[in-house]
Amino acid sequence: MTESVDTRVDLGGIALRNPVLTASGTFGYGTEFAPFMDLAALGGFVAKSLTLEPRSGNPPPRIAETPSGMLNAISIENIGVEAFLGERLPELPADVVVIASCFGTDPGNYAELAERLSASPRVAGIEINASCPHVKSGGIEFGQDPRLLGELVERVRAVTPKPLLVKLSPNVTRIDDMARVCEASGADAICLINAVQAMEVDVESRRPVLSNVLGGLSGPAIRPIALRMVWQAAQAVSIPICGVGGIITPEDAVKFMLCGATAVQVGTANYLNPAVGREVAEGIAAYAARHGFPRVADLTGALRLPGAP
Amino acid sequence: MTNSKPPVPSRPLRVAAEVVENAVEGPGNHRLVLAIPGWPGAEPGQFVMLSPGGSSEAERTDPLLPRPMAVYRGHAAAPPGGRAEVEFLLKVAGRGTRLLADLAPGQSIRLVGPLGSAFVPVAPGKRAILVGGGTGIASLYELASRGTEDAEVHVILGARSDGDLMGVDDFMALGVNCHITTEDGSRGRKGRVTDTLGELLEAPGPPAALFACGPTPMMHACAKIAFERQLECQVSLENNMACGFGVCLGCAVPVHSGGYSLVCRAGPVYSADQVVWEGLS
Ligand SMILES: Cc1cc2nc3c(=O)[nH]c(=O)nc-3n(C[C@H](O)[C@H](O)[C@H](O)COP(=O)(O)OP(=O)(O)OC[C@H]3O[C@@H](n4cnc5c(N)ncnc54)[C@H](O)[C@@H]3O)c2cc1C
Ligand SMILES: Cc1cc2nc3c(=O)[nH]c(=O)nc-3n(C[C@H](O)[C@H](O)[C@H](O)COP(=O)(O)O)c2cc1C
Ligand code: FES
Repeated sequence: MTESVDTRVDLGGIALRNPVLTASGTFGYGTEFAPFMDLAALGGFVAKSLTLEPRSGNPPPRIAETPSGMLNAISIENIGVEAFLGERLPELPADVVVIASCFGTDPGNYAELAERLSASPRVAGIEINASCPHVKSGGIEFGQDPRLLGELVERVRAVTPKPLLVKLSPNVTRIDDMARVCEASGADAICLINAVQAMEVDVESRRPVLSNVLGGLSGPAIRPIALRMVWQAAQAVSIPICGVGGIITPEDAVKFMLCGATAVQVGTANYLNPAVGREVAEGIAAYAARHGFPRVADLTGALRLPGAP
Repeated sequence: MTNSKPPVPSRPLRVAAEVVENAVEGPGNHRLVLAIPGWPGAEPGQFVMLSPGGSSEAERTDPLLPRPMAVYRGHAAAPPGGRAEVEFLLKVAGRGTRLLADLAPGQSIRLVGPLGSAFVPVAPGKRAILVGGGTGIASLYELASRGTEDAEVHVILGARSDGDLMGVDDFMALGVNCHITTEDGSRGRKGRVTDTLGELLEAPGPPAALFACGPTPMMHACAKIAFERQLECQVSLENNMACGFGVCLGCAVPVHSGGYSLVCRAGPVYSADQVVWEGLS
């Protein structure tokens, strides 16, 4: 039954064999997962956010568990664009769809990164990380100010012919405004949400649990917030949306699609189950079959609102 | 340095294991035995990530993350198509380990492993001194059992009190030289493992190599002793982890070669002089 379902989706010009991507920062550079699954079973994956130069992260403790979630303040530790293009990308099988994530402190960095990454035929798309919740400068500054965000997206748009995705922060008052700015500035799709800015305290030591004090909350704890934001963004724009936040089961992913997402990204769940991406992809197809949808793409926006049949 | 080479670890697997036994070994201490299908075997010092609370992710989002646990015994691979029994020594520290302690025989649990680096084996002609504090001794059993043929092996096992000691009889049965210490004197020598270590190092004998696993202050103390006496010393660190296989970057430890090293991938075993101890919380 599942075999007869067409699982393909188009995410802003990126042809995906199924709607499941794995989220930046939770899937390394891909090969780390090769012992656990065939990477080609995924729609694709978003690599760890890259900077122009290699970058070291925050001192420990960098992570802490919270109810149904986790806090992190890694601070975009990464190998840098050169090592990514020269060493990691060539290790990946040709049938794996790779989206590169860019992080910078000003629009110039982002544009330079996007330009270098776009030169590689192995990069299927560019994701702008305009939303890291715990880096002192860059990222979230852009994701919280519609004017800066618009400038950033235009600047990157001008240098890349590849499908351009913008990853939005939930730490804003009006997500619909941010979504509209992306659409107007030339983004091909938007991804939301990044981690929610948060903190936790150890009462015995009276210290914040993270060395950085503030961190980003991820995992099932944030899923209803993410779902709400995807729903609001879907009302505001017509470019495709990739839903991210707290997905661990196929049903979680289906919820995002029903609220208007074309595809989804699975993040924190990769840590507890390194084969979760494949399982979610298979489960979405099974759901579609069970509910009589010939194509998983038909799930997008198929929410039945109160009063509707 | 030793002339021995670090062993090459097997490829990790993700699998549902069956609880065979979960025996109480003292207050809050458990010996957990799992039957693991297709277990590729492990090297001394390696660990697995155990998901507390049921076999299906859908059943459990709290606690969310798997817990790192050293392989105590069961380093041989499963027969083709079969299962291997692998043993863990666990101490209840919080919610996750409480759930693991409550598992009953027949229940299933997901695990990922074996993970991490291994101890470089005891070199022939050396006097190996293994220092284990609390559950840290779990990482040392296999090393002790492999080291007995061509080297003199001493094991110092320490805990706060007699009830906190685990696996002592297993170590005794290996025929290695066992030295027991408790902080309250309820069993063995009263004091800390480092007191006994100091005495052993004063005694005449072949050059010593240290292997330590336990609370961070204990390992730091061993590292200092090794530095002062210019001895080799390997430690197995126990940082908080989210994934266990090098992708969350949460388990980072500062190292002297610059920047951070991932305890789950480059570690948990390090040469003590690689670690910036002052940077560990
Ligand atoms: C490589 C490695 C091997 C380990 N081997 C063993 C073993 O063989 N037997 C065993 O009993 N334990 C072992 N541990 C420690 C064990 O993983 C922790 O005790 C456990 O994760 C705590 O989870 P919890 O939910 O019970 O406690 P939580 O509720 O998460 O925390 C309770 C307390 O434990 C502390 N804690 C949390 N995680 C760790 C950790 N990773 N290490 C030390 N303290 C921690 C917290 O700071 C807190 O004070 C190992 C850890 C590592 C990294
Ligand atoms: C440890 C960690 C590191 C992350 N690193 C990045 C990153 O480098 N770039 C990025 O865009 N998002 C990063 N994220 C955010 C995730 O991609 C995702 O947006 C967020 O965690 C919400 O999804 P989830 O609940 O499924 O994890 C990171 C998340 C975690 C937990
Ligand atoms: S625990 Fe995730 S990188 Fe080490």
